[in-house]
Amino acid sequence: MTKIRISNGMFIAMIVNMIFAKSIGVTQGTLARFVGHDMWIATLLGTLQGAIMMYVMYSVMRRTPKLDIMGLGEAMLGKWFGKLIALLLFAFFLASSGPIMLTFVYHLQDYFLPEAPLWIFLVSSLLVGSIGCFYGLEVIARLALLGMTFIFLLNVLIVIGSTAEFDIRNLIPVLEFGFPAAAKASLHFDADYAMAIMMAALVMPLIRDSQKSGGKVGMIGIAVTGLVTLIWAFLESAVLSGEVTAQYAVSCMKLARNAHIGDFLQRYEMIMIAFYSIPVLFEIVFCIYGTSRSMTKLFGTRNNRWMIVPAALLIGGFSYRIVGDHFRALYYLERIWPYIAVPIAFGLPFLMLGLTWIFRRKLRQAG
Amino acid sequence: MRRILCLLAALTLLTMCVSCIGQRQINELALVTAVGIENGDKPGTIKLSVQMIRPADARGQTGSPSGGTGQPIYSAQAEGETIFDAIRELGRFVSRRVYWAHNFLIVMNEDYARRGIADMIDFFTRNHELRMNTWVAVTSDSPAELISTITGLEVVPGQAVDNLFKDNRIAGQAPSSNMMNLEEAFLSRSAEPVLARLELVSRGISNKKPLEHGSIKQVELAGAAAFKGEAMVGWVTPAETRGLLFFTERLESGIEVVGCPNNGNKLSLEFRDAKLKIKPSYRNQQAQFQVALHTNADIVESGCETNLAKICQDVERALEDRLKGKIESLLRKARRQYHSDFLKLGDVFRNKYPEEWRKIGDDWNSVFSEAQVDVAVSAKINSVVLKSVGSVK
Repeated sequence: MTKIRISNGMFIAMIVNMIFAKSIGVTQGTLARFVGHDMWIATLLGTLQGAIMMYVMYSVMRRTPKLDIMGLGEAMLGKWFGKLIALLLFAFFLASSGPIMLTFVYHLQDYFLPEAPLWIFLVSSLLVGSIGCFYGLEVIARLALLGMTFIFLLNVLIVIGSTAEFDIRNLIPVLEFGFPAAAKASLHFDADYAMAIMMAALVMPLIRDSQKSGGKVGMIGIAVTGLVTLIWAFLESAVLSGEVTAQYAVSCMKLARNAHIGDFLQRYEMIMIAFYSIPVLFEIVFCIYGTSRSMTKLFGTRNNRWMIVPAALLIGGFSYRIVGDHFRALYYLERIWPYIAVPIAFGLPFLMLGLTWIFRRKLRQAG
Repeated sequence: MRRILCLLAALTLLTMCVSCIGQRQINELALVTAVGIENGDKPGTIKLSVQMIRPADARGQTGSPSGGTGQPIYSAQAEGETIFDAIRELGRFVSRRVYWAHNFLIVMNEDYARRGIADMIDFFTRNHELRMNTWVAVTSDSPAELISTITGLEVVPGQAVDNLFKDNRIAGQAPSSNMMNLEEAFLSRSAEPVLARLELVSRGISNKKPLEHGSIKQVELAGAAAFKGEAMVGWVTPAETRGLLFFTERLESGIEVVGCPNNGNKLSLEFRDAKLKIKPSYRNQQAQFQVALHTNADIVESGCETNLAKICQDVERALEDRLKGKIESLLRKARRQYHSDFLKLGDVFRNKYPEEWRKIGDDWNSVFSEAQVDVAVSAKINSVVLKSVGSVK
């Protein structure tokens, strides 16, 4: 069997795809509800924190370049510790399916197909996601490259369509709610970066020369994500205003709905949603992948393919519960998810960093 | 086994591709092009007038192709406790499904606007079908009559009003108010909404009865409606609206007529490259604004019968006075009469003084009413356009 290898470019694309859809789709609206038009500052602060955490994760993973974080845990403290980390990963990816699915479903159902039942969106996305997951990480990584192209095209379209309404005065005064409020709000963006950090914990061993350049590539990925997301943060603030952005669950669709190129090209959000589909599907695919990989470790099976269907079913059930009720979904998104994501994605790397330092000799021997 | 699974998965996916869910055939839709909203006959109700397009008769420029009814639009009215309720009422007799995505105009009656438009803003921004650049206006006439009145060369009234708004900057006497900027101003803590005013005026001339001048009613853009919060507080005249557009839409050009200094005739000036600068300050717990407008101008029509170069300075002063008069009249109305900052001076103040804004922002309309606003206008005539006679002293 050919060993999977992910190039640096693929890894960058995976990071961007893992964060982009949710960060422009629902996170900007959340940020606007907390800090108004300063959402771009919260996005910037979140990006800096994300880059630091990605480097911390790299620092952990480079000790044993052939092991993922579960394998690393097992190498340090034995099988049960490896399973404990797998359990954390399982909880993380299952919990992340709520925000990911609500991003996917609310974009399509609320704006295009209000009459379609929820299960259609969940079943179709999980089916496509499971197939992607079945074909393995390399296929997922190639999908991310395609997604990257689509993200670029989507951003070009939204910039062209929003320029006429751009009012820079909507971006001032800067830090109207103060720096502490912006820093606190960035927690919600950290929750998006958390998904990329946990993804890195699984895929970093498969990246070419990860021991040497994984940190740099990871941070570039975070920076690129920050850049492509900042465009939306600026546009939503300047075109819609912070107050309007804060009103909407899916704020990027509000911006897309306002966009028009001249008088003749109106309402082209259907084209934009087509470009948006790959990044959001990537998130779903990786969510299934992460859940199935952690379940594989938990149950001790050899191949994660056997766990794809159970993982998809679990994700489907959980997301049906979350997404089916808008009130519950938004409560989960803003009040629960960040407090699951950030402690795990920011706490685990630090814990592992400490442990790798304590068990450095053991790891050197194992390595 | 794998092949069977793949086949099953492919077949399942195939069912997703038929696009049956939510499908709407175009011949089953009633495309709305204009909506009128007013208070209903029963207390607490809303009357909704909807202009829908009849595609077979609306094609081409003159309407009435063979086989059609000759009427490019179909207008209907319904009443309900809310806007949505009224729309559902429409469904009882309109044979097609009402479709909002091509709506050009929402026009409200004055009485309805004075009662409050929060429900209208909420409904139309919550509706995923509606375009956010749909024009929004207020009228003192009947919205039902207004949306059914064929104006100008178009066969669809909604489209005619759409074109009026698109070319609005040429006349420059009404704001280009759409759902996007209405929602923004409505939600803003530092600005109040202002909407265009539409009026039915007998201006059209019948080709069949040319002697009956002005026998056909036409829709015209005629100033603005000022709001405070969700409720309309009063009208702004077309002349004052010229002043308003410098603040809200960065109006750069327009036509002003001034009297000749040497005789009683008139002179038309086209001002252009107009730039308004607002300098806020905060002294002794009081907000102050220095408003400075500078514009260049061309003499585009003269009845002065004299060397224009000699009267140029006097004409410049006259233009300055005229523009200043419009701005000051607008400011008086906004501050003293309506106590509503629909000029968006609050935005400027908030941007410059965020700390002070935190203290006084909640009571901004009162602060704005008491604020000192100084207006200075400077104009420079650069050209007499095409002709050289009279351009040298």
